[in-house]
Amino acid sequence: MTIDAALRSEIFLSYLTIVGGLLVVAGAALGILSLSGKDVSSVWKTYRGWLIMVPLVLGTIFLGREAVIAGATLLAIFGFREFARATGLYEDWWLTGIVYAAIAALGAASIATDPRLETAGWYGIFMALPVYVVAAILLIPILRNRAKGQLQRVALAIVGFVYFGWMFSHLGFLANSPYAYGYILYLVFAVEINDIAAFTCGKLFGKRKLRENISPNKTIGGSVGAIGVSLLVPWLLWFSFPHFDVVHLLLAGLIVGVGGQLGDLVISYIKRDIGIKDMGSVIQGHGGILDRVDSMIFVAPLFFHMIRWFHGLN
Amino acid sequence: MDDWQYHPAPDIDESMAEQLRNFPRQPHMLQYAIRSVAALLMRGWLKIYHRLSVSGRDNLPASGSYILVCNHTSHLDTLCMLSAVPLRNIHRTFPAAAADYFFCSLPRSAVSAILINALPFDRKLKGAESLTVCSTLLSNEGNVLIIFPEGTRTTSGKMGRFRSGIGRLVAGTDLAVVPCYLSGGLRAWPKGRMFPRPYKLRLSIGAACHYPQLQKDAESVREVCADLERRVAELGGEPHDDL
Repeated sequence: MTIDAALRSEIFLSYLTIVGGLLVVAGAALGILSLSGKDVSSVWKTYRGWLIMVPLVLGTIFLGREAVIAGATLLAIFGFREFARATGLYEDWWLTGIVYAAIAALGAASIATDPRLETAGWYGIFMALPVYVVAAILLIPILRNRAKGQLQRVALAIVGFVYFGWMFSHLGFLANSPYAYGYILYLVFAVEINDIAAFTCGKLFGKRKLRENISPNKTIGGSVGAIGVSLLVPWLLWFSFPHFDVVHLLLAGLIVGVGGQLGDLVISYIKRDIGIKDMGSVIQGHGGILDRVDSMIFVAPLFFHMIRWFHGLN
Repeated sequence: MDDWQYHPAPDIDESMAEQLRNFPRQPHMLQYAIRSVAALLMRGWLKIYHRLSVSGRDNLPASGSYILVCNHTSHLDTLCMLSAVPLRNIHRTFPAAAADYFFCSLPRSAVSAILINALPFDRKLKGAESLTVCSTLLSNEGNVLIIFPEGTRTTSGKMGRFRSGIGRLVAGTDLAVVPCYLSGGLRAWPKGRMFPRPYKLRLSIGAACHYPQLQKDAESVREVCADLERRVAELGGEPHDDL
């Protein structure tokens, strides 16, 4: 992944056209709706958020492998920061410090070259890091000679690292694959389509609640509809991974359809347990970083290990 | 099994700009890290580019909260004062900065809050409110407040009159006020210039003063302002006309 490669990559340019086209069409539709007197101010806000995020994401991918890994690492760091601020873990500088450093180490492992295999990305250390980080987190109360309330802090830090840091960082590691453009663009695009499909299908034929104690707005209709749409998307985007056969396409769709919604529900119950509405307010109309990338957290590692199992990463 | 108790940050619903404009701000590790690195770079840059010399460092109180007052000719004043306090105190050193200028946009707020650790001071509407924030800050042990009592940068080179805020803050209290004078700032970075020029800067730190014997009335406030104005001017060797 380099700027040169991006300019020559048909996959990258196709996604650029698709996403750009969708943004223009959506903008035009919103414009017509607001001209016809409908109140679309909240949707406008969300749309403006997209207008900032889409160029940021595509621009990062355009810049190449290092930019994608750095971007994913920064998202993981600021995502964890939101989690720490929401739970109160942010007051503990030792534990948050270790997790920040560990996420940065994940980024470094993704950028480094494997010293033995000489492949891009040091897979072994990337996968082994959670062992060392969890050990380090558990050591902190011992070093500080403290017991009261330590289990809660340690548990929060481990969830923070493993879930928001390590699982999400798989997205950045994908940049080491020769099919990086197809994999990453597919994931980002399909996950967003899945979110939108769940919302739209829910509005259209949502009746029974999916998990009323976690997220009262989600319905079984919306969920099934989203899985259906997500199963379809890989066929339409087959050009992203021409080496996939039918089973791989089905799995790619299933991972996005199911994983995306699971990630959403996990953030929902975390927020509900804490008693907050959004994880932050960085992106106007979208809430915090975690409210936006929540669906990617399950999808990235599951997709990663699926392709690694069938095709190998390099 | 009992449920866990969470303590979300109080400013969790606010946008980034609002979080930075709040005071006191929520302590944040990444910001502390950036500020520490920035402070080191700033010290090096002032030393090399401006050959900054600081005299009278011993006059800084070793404990307790105190206020640094200084003449105001350029943005370099704040940076030099920040470089004069010990590095371990930078996260508890707050230059009072005009809210309408330093906190008017997100990028400016970010620089002011993260790099400079500025306290947003409303010099137009809520002056009294901002002074209350200052005195609360100083009632906590170990905080340092940097104030430019002239209220704005001078363009003539002549020190302006001290405004009453500093007097209202310290008259009748035990608070230590340390007068300082920075010379060379006007030549190095006059108001309106984009970048500073490599002229030498000299910071003189005077002996700390206290005004516990005074009342909290208008007369005492004027007295404090006049006294500090005289002391700062003397440090810089500026001629000073008494009130």
